[in-house]
Amino acid sequence: MANLHDQLEGVFQTIFNNDQLQLRDDMSPPDIPGWDSVAHINLMFGIEQAFGIRFTGDELARLETIGELKRLLASRMR
Amino acid sequence: MNTDYIQSASVQAAIHQANQLLSANDCRGALELCLSAADAYELPPGALCLKIARCYQRLGDTDAMVRWALSAVDAGEEFTVWLACANLLKNVPAGSLKARRTARLAVLSSYTTVQFVPLLQLAALRQGVALEIHESPFGQYQQEVLNPSSATYAFKPDFLLFAVDEREANLPNHCAQPFEAVEKETARWKSLWQGAASNSTATIIQHNFALSPEDALGHLGSRLAGSRYRMLQELNRRLAEEAGENVLLLDCDRIAGTFGKERWFDPRYWLLSRQAVALDALPLLARHTAALLAARLGLSRKCLVLDLDNTLWGGTVGEDGVSGLQIGDGPKGEAYLAFQEYIRALKSKGIILAVCSKNDEAVAKEPFEKHPRMLLRLDDFAVFVANWRPKLENLISISRTLNLGLDSFVFLDDNPAERRAMRQALPAVETPALPDDPALYVRALDRTLLFETAAFTEEDSRRAEQYAARAKADEARAAAGSLAEFYSSLKMQAIIEPISREQLLRVVQLLGKTNQFNLTTRRHSFGTVNEFLKDPSCVHFTARLRDCFTDHGLVALLIAFVQGETLSIDSWLMSCRVIGRTLEFEMLRYLCEQGRERGCRSIRGLYIPTEKNGLVRDLFSDLGFRLIEEKNGTTTWERSLDDESLRQRSFIQRVASFDSVPEEMNDGKLARPA
Repeated sequence: MANLHDQLEGVFQTIFNNDQLQLRDDMSPPDIPGWDSVAHINLMFGIEQAFGIRFTGDELARLETIGELKRLLASRMR
Repeated sequence: MNTDYIQSASVQAAIHQANQLLSANDCRGALELCLSAADAYELPPGALCLKIARCYQRLGDTDAMVRWALSAVDAGEEFTVWLACANLLKNVPAGSLKARRTARLAVLSSYTTVQFVPLLQLAALRQGVALEIHESPFGQYQQEVLNPSSATYAFKPDFLLFAVDEREANLPNHCAQPFEAVEKETARWKSLWQGAASNSTATIIQHNFALSPEDALGHLGSRLAGSRYRMLQELNRRLAEEAGENVLLLDCDRIAGTFGKERWFDPRYWLLSRQAVALDALPLLARHTAALLAARLGLSRKCLVLDLDNTLWGGTVGEDGVSGLQIGDGPKGEAYLAFQEYIRALKSKGIILAVCSKNDEAVAKEPFEKHPRMLLRLDDFAVFVANWRPKLENLISISRTLNLGLDSFVFLDDNPAERRAMRQALPAVETPALPDDPALYVRALDRTLLFETAAFTEEDSRRAEQYAARAKADEARAAAGSLAEFYSSLKMQAIIEPISREQLLRVVQLLGKTNQFNLTTRRHSFGTVNEFLKDPSCVHFTARLRDCFTDHGLVALLIAFVQGETLSIDSWLMSCRVIGRTLEFEMLRYLCEQGRERGCRSIRGLYIPTEKNGLVRDLFSDLGFRLIEEKNGTTTWERSLDDESLRQRSFIQRVASFDSVPEEMNDGKLARPA
């Protein structure tokens, strides 16, 4: 998928109600306002739906950076 | 995987382009781009609706923003889109939502409802209800219900929702005395309902228990009375039996089955954040819960207006002739038959049917008269309109004939152009989309939940007949000469009596949905009216009307309170199908008698104007009341009880029961005055 970054950014924009939100690989939850535990669940679910994948329980719970998330998605979509 | 989420490339491209324009602060450009992409769809995809709503938000057009956020509800059930739309509505003041009703709902749950609550607000607003919601921490429902000073009660809810999951049912995995275990658990829920009823006047909405798809016992589980699977089924059945008039039961097990249980139950999200219902199932659960709630508030649709060609049968009668129509035989013919069957079932639960077709009338009626496989008959329809005028004009005239507001109607047509025209001209009418394949008509209509009903009363089962009778009486009026002659010829009788327990459900239904002849439009709940009945200062009564065409059933009510020497009217309303029958004079006469018996010297009445009750603006004046105060449009009126005379004559004979059948009853013909 050529445009994994754009698609992921779209999910973030929808979940965080912010059309201006731009993702960088080094971003982590504290960098994005509103990223609390509830938003996290909504986000992970939104990503599952948008990319047609399912995370494991561990993956759902843990997320360090956007870069890591993208690598995870890329490995799932191979 | 839910196919709702797979977006077409063109929509994705439009949204992407719109985002770039938005980044450059070109909101107008982004909006125009999205609107033109949306134009290609009858129901634009949710993500596009959301983007358009966002554009309007940034342009400061709140009305359009709300409208587009709500159209995302019609587009599908995408959790992410719904949640984003619900968030857009969060900061809109209640007054700007233009809802038909407002209500306060307290949520008591056994699982995380932080996502469910905003979705429920969105779904309710789509149904015309602006909901204010109080959410208790999950798992606290027993304490909240049993503590009279809990935050739940302090919120003064109109509705109390028990959103619970199967884990919450206190039943063992296996039990030697299953009957006792189920009875004990049934009693626990009943006592919670009773606790809620004694501490508030709220109507209860109870989600029943969705049964998990996994069971180690396998098929044996359904055979062993002591298995948890069987006990849960039994518990759901018992709860439905025990749910009184104050409890609305939502069949979650059925909804979960419809959705697919392996998707409904997602153990990962339960383990991570106590989501008992998968996030993507929440929009459906919210839609059903909102439909039940709206039905209780009297917002269900009352009349289904149907096109004929390719809607009720396959083919065009004007071209193919009766014998060329597809109805009854072959896959297509059977599909139309199944659709007619479903519509007939709607009629028997009280939905009024009407026809609105572009045809010559005689031609349009022919299949009903001549086709051997037609299920629906001409007398199933209260109104039959077939002509060549625009359908929206015909719909307005049907609404006048039946004396029902446009927001009581659902319009069904196989032609997308007709649907689009109707939606644009008359947005108050619900015009659901129909799929191309008639095999899917029943499902498409059923999914709209537009005809959800909270209760089934005797009046509901006879409504269609009553409205047809009304249309007949109108014809008779034209034929009868003077109005007095017309009234006499109707041979009207009324039973006027205090509200009884048996009538409560119908009374609350009328309070909830009567708009036109309604002086104060106070939507008292079941619990509130129940309290009124116990209050010795309350004077209350209902009126049942019968004429030579039909028994109209319980159609009017009045609630008043004795305050010193004044009898003060709290609520007075009448169903629109008997307006103009002089029943109001007979009710006033009865009220005066009651007032005098209680030593009152005057009657006081209030008229609170709404958008719909202009009809009764001058009622009190017409009835000989004197205006004593006017404040913001609300008028207060008084009439002395010393004055014995009532100017108006009612043409209604007051009787104790309808046992004696008048001569012309049931022969369907009007006795012409001599």
